[in-house]
Amino acid sequence: MTWRSVPGAALLLAAALSVVPLSSALEARAPRLGGGAAAEPVLPRAAVLRPLLLGFHPLAADLYWLRTIQYVGAHLQTDERFQALYGLVDLVTSLDPHFVAAYQLGGLFLVIAKQFPEAAAIYEKGIAANPLRWELPYDLGRMYFLDLKEYDQALRWWLVADRLPGRPHYLPRMIARLYAKTGALETAFELWKAMYETTDNEWVKQTAKREMEKVLAQLRSRPSVRAGQEERSP
Amino acid sequence: MKVIAIALMAFTEAVRDRILYSLLAFALAMIGSSTILVRLSVGGEEKIVKDLGLSAISLMGVLIAVFIGVGLVSREIDRRTIYPVLARPVHRAEFILGKFCGLGLTLLVNVAVMAAGLLGIARVLEGRWSPELLPAVLLLFVELLLLTAAAILFSTFTTPTLSAIFTLSLFVIGRLSGDLRAFAQQFGGRATRALVTALTYALPDLARLNIGEASVHGLPLGHGYVPLALLYGTAYLVLFLAAAIVLFQRRDLK
Repeated sequence: MTWRSVPGAALLLAAALSVVPLSSALEARAPRLGGGAAAEPVLPRAAVLRPLLLGFHPLAADLYWLRTIQYVGAHLQTDERFQALYGLVDLVTSLDPHFVAAYQLGGLFLVIAKQFPEAAAIYEKGIAANPLRWELPYDLGRMYFLDLKEYDQALRWWLVADRLPGRPHYLPRMIARLYAKTGALETAFELWKAMYETTDNEWVKQTAKREMEKVLAQLRSRPSVRAGQEERSP
Repeated sequence: MKVIAIALMAFTEAVRDRILYSLLAFALAMIGSSTILVRLSVGGEEKIVKDLGLSAISLMGVLIAVFIGVGLVSREIDRRTIYPVLARPVHRAEFILGKFCGLGLTLLVNVAVMAAGLLGIARVLEGRWSPELLPAVLLLFVELLLLTAAAILFSTFTTPTLSAIFTLSLFVIGRLSGDLRAFAQQFGGRATRALVTALTYALPDLARLNIGEASVHGLPLGHGYVPLALLYGTAYLVLFLAAAIVLFQRRDLK
């Protein structure tokens, strides 16, 4: 490097070093326009958007899916209101009707948001678009069993899942219990345990673990269990 | 032999073009960025990587095909380097075919590099190779060859700027073709339906060569779909190249 290039190099270094503080200063002074991950998004209609994407609609579905996750995360930490959640999940699944994870997790998010009719609509939309995937009728049955306590509906959807390839080995056992109308808490525990063991996702794992602990506490406080414990205790 | 010699020259010329490297670097960066995006996602990580990879291959391939393709013939004419070539016993058809094969080879190398990047990342993420993506990449490559032929066709009778606009328009109409047909069936009168149907046969329906969504989800395609789609793309490619040769033969280069 010659002496002549020193001013140029110094200018470059100064420019590079100034980027971060300048960015922070601008961020602090920027007008608050109500944006951010928690903002209610303006959603286009999938039927209009899809042709405009020229075949890149699966990528758009992925980007809207990331937006959905940001939206859920932001509202879980603040007001726990999820007004736009159904619209987001519906848009993602309309742009890519075979995105099974979006139906599964989108449905789960809607269940957490206590938007059960919307969750059922998403699961049923997924079942119609992916009739060979056991996961969706299984998840819908789980929602009816665990959250809505509508055991007839749960049975109906688990029977659908039971006919599909790849269904889990424990499903016939749960169906048998439902037929016998016994062991609701044990089945609930088994459902959450299955979710805990099969998911790769840490957030879903933690949710399943919390629910397992709740069901376990209910199981321990059952009169028959308590009586047994009292008999055994001196 | 003459076609091969011209093709190798066109290939050498294309690999010297800086645009090519910028687009390739951008595509690889796009594919690489998917590893960051998947960290933000809950579910569907493999799908995001594959969608982004196939989109990057398609988008960058289209830009390479269009912006290098439109200059292949017109630049030779502008620089007057075409005269010594055509002064030799080289037929104009051989010149067009050679130029097409040269850019085709360039695209092949680029698509192979981008596909290798995508398959490598998918392998790391899933712990297995994803051979189901290969038919999608193959048909994307055919689509790019088709656009290259179109770019050469347009550049035989108009300026590079207009050729680029025409080729990009062909890409947009080609990708919209199926939707246009559906809209016409739903809302159009008899005349509109007939016009749109004629248009969709006159221009290639590029959506038929885009099977990325089916490949990513592992959905079954109809029996013999890929070979038929290959033939479909090749038929339009031959038509475009034949038209380019006819127009180029009639062009007065004095």
